[in-house]
Amino acid sequence: MSTDRPQLAAVVTTYFKYSHAQHIVDRFLYGYGWMGTHHRPPMDLVALYVDQVGKGDLSRSRGEQFPSMRIYPTIAEALTLGGNKLAVDGVVVVGEHGNYPRNEKGQTQYPRWEFFEQIIKVFRDSQRSVPMFNDKHLSWNWDWAKQMAETSREMGFAYMAGSSLPVTWRIPSVEMPLGSQIREALCVGYGGVDSYDFHALETIQCMVERRRGGETGVKWLQAFRGDKFWDALREGRWSHRLMEAALCRSHTLVPARQSFNDILPTDDEMHRLVKDPVAYQYEHADGLICTMILMNGLVRDFNFAADVEHHRSSSVVYAPLVKDFNFAADIGGRSEPFSTQMFLPMPDGRTTLASFFSPLVNNMEKMFLTGKPTYPVERTLLTTGLVAAGMESLYRHEERVETPHLSVTYQPTRESAFERA
Amino acid sequence: MLNRREFLQTGAAATGLLLGAADAPPKRLAIIATVYKYLSHAQHLGDRFLVGYPYGGVWHKPAIKVVSLYVDQKPDGDLSGERAREFGFQVYPTIAEALCCGGKDLAVDAVLIIAEHGDYPRNEKGQILYPRYEFFQQCAEVFARSGRSVPVYNDKHLSYSFTKAQSMVETSRRLRFPMLGGSSLPVTFRLPPLEMPLGCEIEEALMVGEGESDAMDFHAFEGLQCMVERRMHGEAGVRAVQMIEGDAVWKAGEEGRWSRDLLISALSRSDTPLGTGETESRPEDLVTSGQLPKLVANPAAYFIEYRDGLKATLLMLNGALKDFNFAARVKGVPAIQSTQFLLTPEPNVTYSACLVHGIEQMFQTRVAPYPIERTLLVSGILESCLTSKVHDHQRLETPHLKVAYQPPAQSTFCRS
Repeated sequence: MSTDRPQLAAVVTTYFKYSHAQHIVDRFLYGYGWMGTHHRPPMDLVALYVDQVGKGDLSRSRGEQFPSMRIYPTIAEALTLGGNKLAVDGVVVVGEHGNYPRNEKGQTQYPRWEFFEQIIKVFRDSQRSVPMFNDKHLSWNWDWAKQMAETSREMGFAYMAGSSLPVTWRIPSVEMPLGSQIREALCVGYGGVDSYDFHALETIQCMVERRRGGETGVKWLQAFRGDKFWDALREGRWSHRLMEAALCRSHTLVPARQSFNDILPTDDEMHRLVKDPVAYQYEHADGLICTMILMNGLVRDFNFAADVEHHRSSSVVYAPLVKDFNFAADIGGRSEPFSTQMFLPMPDGRTTLASFFSPLVNNMEKMFLTGKPTYPVERTLLTTGLVAAGMESLYRHEERVETPHLSVTYQPTRESAFERA
Repeated sequence: MLNRREFLQTGAAATGLLLGAADAPPKRLAIIATVYKYLSHAQHLGDRFLVGYPYGGVWHKPAIKVVSLYVDQKPDGDLSGERAREFGFQVYPTIAEALCCGGKDLAVDAVLIIAEHGDYPRNEKGQILYPRYEFFQQCAEVFARSGRSVPVYNDKHLSYSFTKAQSMVETSRRLRFPMLGGSSLPVTFRLPPLEMPLGCEIEEALMVGEGESDAMDFHAFEGLQCMVERRMHGEAGVRAVQMIEGDAVWKAGEEGRWSRDLLISALSRSDTPLGTGETESRPEDLVTSGQLPKLVANPAAYFIEYRDGLKATLLMLNGALKDFNFAARVKGVPAIQSTQFLLTPEPNVTYSACLVHGIEQMFQTRVAPYPIERTLLVSGILESCLTSKVHDHQRLETPHLKVAYQPPAQSTFCRS
């Protein structure tokens, strides 16, 4: 085995079909469709730690099929390949799925922080650190998350985290122009809190961080659930026009009327379809108001919309061969919302592969090859804090939560990191 | 500063985006359908003219009023009467009456013909004998009689018979009305949003898909055709076709009659590989892992030899995948170019909104956004391939498919 191929360790909670670990680790093992080829990552995943091996486990059969990947009983052994010093060039942490306790606020206490601590201990003991990727939010606990990001800075290793939503296909394939003046933004998505809320928040954040001045942090957050959600919608707490623009990007809008297959629902019809709507509204330090909306029963995708100053038409990011996009539909001053769907080809009957993990793994690969994250971990630090604040507000009966601790400031990357070719 | 009229003339009209001036009365539309029931093509295309559709990030309401409907069959679940009552139009017993709204002369500004679904016989080639030609001819008779013609959209292929299809196109030329046909595949979203540069030299092209013959193979062919028609000198027509099935398909691959590399590239765009993709969600390459022959009990390959020498292949691999993916080798471009034609899920089938957008554009401007010759050629390719199938899978010369045309300079697929 050539030594110039980075050697990786994966530290995961559990490994069954459709678990995040399966989607991610499998892509390192089998390769994946990428830019028109079956791409094989130029690196070797040589060590695996699985915290819970239960029914449906695939890690053992993967271990048999790929003898080059050894399964170790502890995180330290995985990182040292059974020796006493760090012996890998990168670490992939997937602390999603598995049986872990829930606290009184409804947060699942995935052991991402605990995994991180054990990894850091190996780094410190070995006086060497390597790039690390952390799937989804950093931790359910804000203080820990903050410490995770700070530790990576102090020790000087590349650290990247988050959801697939910022990096997956967009339909249409658009990017928020750097330096845009955004007046308001929202995402209409689906799924549960402490889970898919994170994806919707990352959807919003990867777009709004590109606004003029970059990210300034968040001052407060308020959740709206059930009747309070409908009251807030009626009162115009967020833009109805933007919500409609987001719904117009959906491919899964549940028809509110029988015998129609694709029809825009009225507010009353939405009320009938969506039993438990949730919104988190929050204000950034520079005054931008964003709203994360989960409408189970209405859509099964994630759709972003923003009111952008001087926005006239979506700026299409071209595929390599496209040469004739003359789509400058600059119709005299008309200002449509900027909107797109962050596309998840979801294996819930729609697909067999969760191909949105492919761009996520590809971004990891770039970090492992270059030692540089392709987007800032501060994005995920902030969205981690927003999930925790959302859960806190819900726990406090949708009270507004002041978030002075979320003064997370950062600049976006100039380069887009989402899949588009 | 431009006034409104000047703006419309110089801006929107020039970009082809003029979809009805606000102060003009709505165009009057007749819908001619085989059946109008939930999730039939007539319902999901027709309804978009009644309730609007999502396009470009807004819910677009066409400035078009459906004024009449003809349905050939009223099966269980027929919605024609219900829609007529709700949206204030009439269901007429004949096509002529629908086009004349009960009067003597043509009384509509556009016609939507959707002859897909319904109970119609199949011929020995397996083609469903939808009465598209017959519907079209009845419309044309009204046009001729009234001394006025209006734009016609014909859903899917023009006819199971190339002769009939050709006669339809000739009629539209003779009576001078714009005509659009075909599938949603050419206009749906692409992942990635790949377009073949106009005038590129395509060395070889391949489409891989799945589904029943005489329905899904038509869609796949249109997807393929809308890509290759952009090659140097435009479309020249087809010299010969052949359709083979079973193990002969794998053997042809080994012999290089279709490109394994193009198939790998096309499949790399699929989100639905079956086999270990289905059982374990493994992102494996079905070709290299050797799974394909085990997964596909009856593969089919449709070979097209174009008159300018281009060779293209459609592989229908039922059991291997559930989506439609294209790959081509372009001269001077090292990487194989590939994309998925995204068929978004039921019931919304939002891809048909992309199609309705093009139809609406033609109804408003009397200019078809892409040439009817594409659909004419594909109708003929499909018929000849199915003839090859029942003639012992023989290669067939197709001198009648000398259909030459130029593609639209602008891309017409959904990307905004």
